Amino acid sequence: MKSIREISEKKPWVNWVLFFATVIIVFVIGLFAATIIERRSEAQLYFQMVEPIPEWEPDNEVWGVNFPRQYESYKKTLDTTFQSKYYGSVMIDYLERYPEMVVMWAGYAFSRDYNQGRGHYYSVKDVHNTLRTGVPQPATCWTCKSTDVPRLMNEMGPSEFYAHTWAEMGPEIQNPIGCQDCHDPNTMNLRITRPALAEAFERQGIDINDATRQEMRSLVCAQCHVEYYFGEDNYLIFPWDEGFSADEMEYYKDRVGHTDWVHALSRAPMLKAQHPDYELYKTGIHAQRDVSCADCHMPYKREGGIKFTDHHLRSPLDNIENSCMVCHRQSEATLQANVYDQQNRVSELRRIAERNLARVHIEAKHAWDAGANEEEMEDILQLIRHSQWRWDWVAAANAMGFHSSSEALRVLATSIQKAQEASIKLTSVFNRYGVEYPIEMPDLSTKEKAQEYIGLDMEKIREEKEEFLEKTLPQWLGSI
Amino acid sequence: MKALKRLFRFLLPPRNWRFTVVILSGIFTGILFFVVYVSNAVSYLSDEPETCINCHVMYPYYASWDKGSHGRDATCADCHVPQDNFIRQYYVKATDGLAHATYFTFRWEPQVIQIKSRGKSVVQENCIRCHLDMVDMVQLVEVTGEIAEKDEGKLCWDCHRETPHGSVRSLSAAPHALVERLPSVMPAWLENLFFGESPSKTRTLPQNEN
Repeated sequence: MKSIREISEKKPWVNWVLFFATVIIVFVIGLFAATIIERRSEAQLYFQMVEPIPEWEPDNEVWGVNFPRQYESYKKTLDTTFQSKYYGSVMIDYLERYPEMVVMWAGYAFSRDYNQGRGHYYSVKDVHNTLRTGVPQPATCWTCKSTDVPRLMNEMGPSEFYAHTWAEMGPEIQNPIGCQDCHDPNTMNLRITRPALAEAFERQGIDINDATRQEMRSLVCAQCHVEYYFGEDNYLIFPWDEGFSADEMEYYKDRVGHTDWVHALSRAPMLKAQHPDYELYKTGIHAQRDVSCADCHMPYKREGGIKFTDHHLRSPLDNIENSCMVCHRQSEATLQANVYDQQNRVSELRRIAERNLARVHIEAKHAWDAGANEEEMEDILQLIRHSQWRWDWVAAANAMGFHSSSEALRVLATSIQKAQEASIKLTSVFNRYGVEYPIEMPDLSTKEKAQEYIGLDMEKIREEKEEFLEKTLPQWLGSI
Repeated sequence: MKALKRLFRFLLPPRNWRFTVVILSGIFTGILFFVVYVSNAVSYLSDEPETCINCHVMYPYYASWDKGSHGRDATCADCHVPQDNFIRQYYVKATDGLAHATYFTFRWEPQVIQIKSRGKSVVQENCIRCHLDMVDMVQLVEVTGEIAEKDEGKLCWDCHRETPHGSVRSLSAAPHALVERLPSVMPAWLENLFFGESPSKTRTLPQNEN
């Protein structure tokens, strides 16, 4: 055999081959060594407060200087591309998807515009843009939308804050939901910044400061992802005094005599459910097994030597491998199918409830038109109020009932039952006044048709919004 | 000896290149030694469980093993490396090790790690190796990772799901695992020479992280 020396004397390019092969090998070995060293030093330099964060600092970027990984992952809530079967991070026009809702909210701003909320990063922007803020709203609406709220509440006290109007506080609200909403700036421990949650527990004799860390990993979310209403002077209240279930909250709201609006068609004293995610979740199997919100929506993550919590808050369906599969041993496809199975069932009942409710509102309107009196209508309107409340309690919550599908189905079933009962009672009213039954239903197949039916001048509403976005908003955003 | 001599002659550079080649080989060998040092390469020849926590990703698994029943008598390698013969043992160690090194170098590791087919077979074999008297009547003896993946048989831990790492995977199992962490790459005496005595640099304790 010839030696390399002899080969390369005849073929000089062999030297080059040897040279580059060595370069590649040394490069890869170097890379390997470098990653090991990087991982080892990362683990030692874990918690480095570069710049102390002032108390009530609303700017997420200031926090991000110290916690780049958490901040970078939080910024991913900007992503609006993920779409699951029912939700995701995309903007979904719910009124377009479920046009019956326009009729169900006649006389209320929700009939104008109702979209799937995008990521936390968009919280302020989406509130500016929604047509619902075209009508005068109290500052209480800002409570859950911005890290500026704890700052303002600290300056003026909660009742003073709630007493302002939405527009008055507009220039103060600059930063979207972020770090300060859940964290103490000195220790980074989880903390409650919204008084309504602490007050609701206090009324039940529970001190929220006694909550364990695992409980806090859900309670910080429960500051906002809950059912609430505006009490006297628009003071924000969680209606939990009688209990957490739809039935108990309904009883509570009847007891305190709360009504969100009077329905424009049926004249029923209506309730609007917000998003009782926490309450529904509490009845589910995950809560019973002590799994917190963060366990699925922001699972632990490791980058090299550093452990942190993924602050990209999102649907676990976008991240099945790192959320569900921590405990569940099935494949990604199986788990997704299991979730959709549950959601399909809830969706089916939900659609039945919506069609029933839209119909019963219109029927009630016909009964009034035929000359029915308040005494005849009282029971019927109460049934409509309760039916829609129960439907909303499930529909307004995120996850299409997945947080506790059996409870969601139970509540929807009672909603349908109450709407049907109202319908049956209405037939006897129609009989009395000689109205032909069934009542002919308008075409509610699209959002536009439904909005036209309830008499909304959408063109004017949109023009007003354009004007706000062009004239007022730049002043607000430029004010700080 | 003859073969070695022939190899040496084969590699021998031209006379006027010898000095350069010697220096370059020295650099190359030096880098190799450095890699052996920083990667704790020698530790991989042993069966010490502490070897496995050279990698941060193993902390929760080390913690659950350490606190579980197997932590008393069985080491990581007792279950995760074949124990039937020396050659297979080191073959699996070497191929697994190279695969893991590649994964970590290029940051391909998933957040929730899952055992692969060959690993399943190895663990299953080792379950049976120690617990044969318990399983010989339940016909688990023949099941391998491949068979289980085709859903044609059950592995021990399909039922004994909490053994030995608990039912929760990933960092969620033990987010703040109390395990001894690797010291700085710099040897303590060298660091002391430059920066003075500082005990925190020589060995890091787990911190309370949020």
